[in-house]
Amino acid sequence: MSEDHASLYQKVVRITNVYLGPAADRFVTRQVQNHLHKPAEELSVGDLEKLIDWIRVAVSMLTEDTEIIEEYTTQLRRLIKVADKHSS
Amino acid sequence: MQNRAKIQRPLFEYLILTAIFFLLVAILPANTSVMQDYGLSTHQYHILLFLVELPLAAVWFAAFFGYARLSQYAASVSNTAEGRGYEKLARGFKWLAFGLVIPSIVSLIVNAIADKHPNFHATAIITSNYLTVFFALVAFSIISNASRTLNHYKKQPDGLVSNKSILLLFVTLAVAFCYLIFRHVAIAAGITSSDNPYYLPIWLLMVTLVIPFLYAWFVGLLAAYDLGQLAKHSKGVLYKQAVHLLAGGVSIVIASLIAIQFLRSVIPRTGHVSLNLVLVTIYLIYIVNVIGFAMISVSASRLKRIEDI
Repeated sequence: MSEDHASLYQKVVRITNVYLGPAADRFVTRQVQNHLHKPAEELSVGDLEKLIDWIRVAVSMLTEDTEIIEEYTTQLRRLIKVADKHSS
Repeated sequence: MQNRAKIQRPLFEYLILTAIFFLLVAILPANTSVMQDYGLSTHQYHILLFLVELPLAAVWFAAFFGYARLSQYAASVSNTAEGRGYEKLARGFKWLAFGLVIPSIVSLIVNAIADKHPNFHATAIITSNYLTVFFALVAFSIISNASRTLNHYKKQPDGLVSNKSILLLFVTLAVAFCYLIFRHVAIAAGITSSDNPYYLPIWLLMVTLVIPFLYAWFVGLLAAYDLGQLAKHSKGVLYKQAVHLLAGGVSIVIASLIAIQFLRSVIPRTGHVSLNLVLVTIYLIYIVNVIGFAMISVSASRLKRIEDI
């Protein structure tokens, strides 16, 4: 179970890496800790929707390029779809 | 709190040093040869000197602000893999900022002494030249070391001299520099003769000014190249954009400082203000310099924001 959670966090970091490079890991950890109030390793599929909303807000502060923001959040949303598919 | 100190301290250092400089401009005795050349009174001389030196305050502010922003970012990533490289880069820019101000302050003092005691003129010129080369050497070496540390972290292939255009640029610069320096030196008078505008025997001029300057410029150009490589190979669209801007700013700052040091060396110092084409050219290069420092400040702020949000 805990391996699943860890891999979900890693997947989020991997997607974030495309946009924030070496800062990705730190960025995701901060978003989870500050907004979801839990350790990053405990990130679950149920948290993703809320996390994506916070990430959208955060990235909007870094860039005005809406294409990048959309692309990034779409990639993250795919994780929810994949998780739903697995659970069903 | 620590972040605020990181930005406040360099700005405080800037204010203190600039205040000392302009206080010296106001109180040091007027240079007699400048007053004669331009037919100025003591009061007019001080106004002229103040106006001529005023743009420097803007350049120094840009340099200290750039160093402050870099320090702030370096502190925010101090516990990460790239933290050490950025800390070194900030330290290099600290030396660069101090290297712009300290030699100017010391030059003002030693030139004022030389005006009253002509025997001191040679010492004043030698001191100014040595201070400039010292700060260039230290700052460019640290920046080069920083860019190599950052590239090592990125596991990029060794960029050293792999780009032939860097080598060609450096060789051209070195040949032109040597030609323009030794044009002022009576080589026929012998290698130990110090009968030249640098007041140094030729061998000493070669060993302690020409070679150190060329070395400093070489490592400076390499640092710019290495940072360019870092930007090119960085991952993350938003991170890469910021690193590109940083690399561009560093390249512009290094190139413009090399240009200023080149001009100030090949056109020997007189020890006093000269309103000529060289001064105008140096001002124009300083504008480019300020743009470079501004790019560094903006990029460091962007990188810092990624770590803050």
